[in-house]
Amino acid sequence: MPQFESHFFSSLIFWEVISFGILLFILYKYAFPGILSVLEEREKKIKDSLDQAERHRADAESRLRDYEAKLSAAGKEAEGILAAAKERAQRLLDENEQRLTADAERIKGDATREIEQERRKALQDIRTQTTELALMVAEKVVQRSLTEADQRKFADEALEALSRSQQR
Amino acid sequence: MEESPLHQFELQNWIPISLGGFDISINKAVVFMWIVVLVAAVLMVMAGSARKLVPGKLQSLAEMMVDFIRSMILDTMGKEGMRFFPLVATLFVFILFSNLIGLIPGSYTVTSQIIVTAVFSFVVYGLSLVMGFMLHGAKFLGILVPPGTPGWLVPLMIPIEIISQVARPVSLAVRLFANMTAGHVMLAVLFSLTIGGGLLVGWLPFAFTVAIYGLEFGIAFIQAYIFSILTCVYLGDAFHLHGHDEHAH
Repeated sequence: MPQFESHFFSSLIFWEVISFGILLFILYKYAFPGILSVLEEREKKIKDSLDQAERHRADAESRLRDYEAKLSAAGKEAEGILAAAKERAQRLLDENEQRLTADAERIKGDATREIEQERRKALQDIRTQTTELALMVAEKVVQRSLTEADQRKFADEALEALSRSQQR
Repeated sequence: MEESPLHQFELQNWIPISLGGFDISINKAVVFMWIVVLVAAVLMVMAGSARKLVPGKLQSLAEMMVDFIRSMILDTMGKEGMRFFPLVATLFVFILFSNLIGLIPGSYTVTSQIIVTAVFSFVVYGLSLVMGFMLHGAKFLGILVPPGTPGWLVPLMIPIEIISQVARPVSLAVRLFANMTAGHVMLAVLFSLTIGGGLLVGWLPFAFTVAIYGLEFGIAFIQAYIFSILTCVYLGDAFHLHGHDEHAH
């Protein structure tokens, strides 16, 4: 085989070592650092992106939970507010009713009392006028035959009898 | 074709040079070594200086290759093996480009020279020995006794393991050389049959030539891969004594 012709070995070894050395130097110096750094950069970027996506997802999830909690809290609050408003309205209604009833009661009471008072007053007036009338009449009849005191006593008796008959 | 299929491997001194008594004449293989270095360097440096986050085709290819070699090193040697990355990657690039450029008709396959592959394999094996003795001292001789060997087997195991160790550089060199040589011999034989058979029968060996050529293209990659992964394994063995013995062959 031509490959075993040993007189080429020395030149092949020499040039192989030189060529390989040059290639190693060039690649080590100018090719590998660039490629490796790009690879690492890309790996890092992908990892970062994934991490970031994961972070965003977690963030979104927690935010969603937050909103849901807030929403349900707001719902509960609204419900509470509604219930409170209803209750207050009911209470106001009840209070108004009570007050109105009480007012009506009071007005009625006042009116009754007033009427009673007026009645009494009228009665008193009637009594006074009747007494005076009777006195006048009696005076006309008796014409100073009696003392003032006697007259009054008679008149009172007459009135007493009158009012008694009236009350009966 | 009256030519021998081995004719393609013959060398002639094109420019005779002598250095300190050694013949370092320029021949076809030497010229193709330079071409390999030139093409590989230009392509790799171009790919390496692109540095785009979204790579183009060339950068993509180079990155794929570098990433492939890197994961190979990380798998076999672990993180500390990355200091051998330039060596292993350059070996891969050199062998791959030699194999591929050798497939161009009329060119020369540098890796079909036994002495070229032998230099690589002995350098790699020698480096693994040096690394092993530097890291583990005399304990590195324990590589001759696989873990779990019963005491009475040790006298038997040591010669066997010595043979297996010696076989490492030899097989590494012969594997690449033989693959390249065999592939090209096969192509030469088939092609001479094509020429000799004429149109009537020649189409059959010609079809085989095309198929084998495709196969050779795959072998160019596979052999570069095998050579570099075995480099990693041998260096890894020196790193982690009794770590990956089972990969040895």
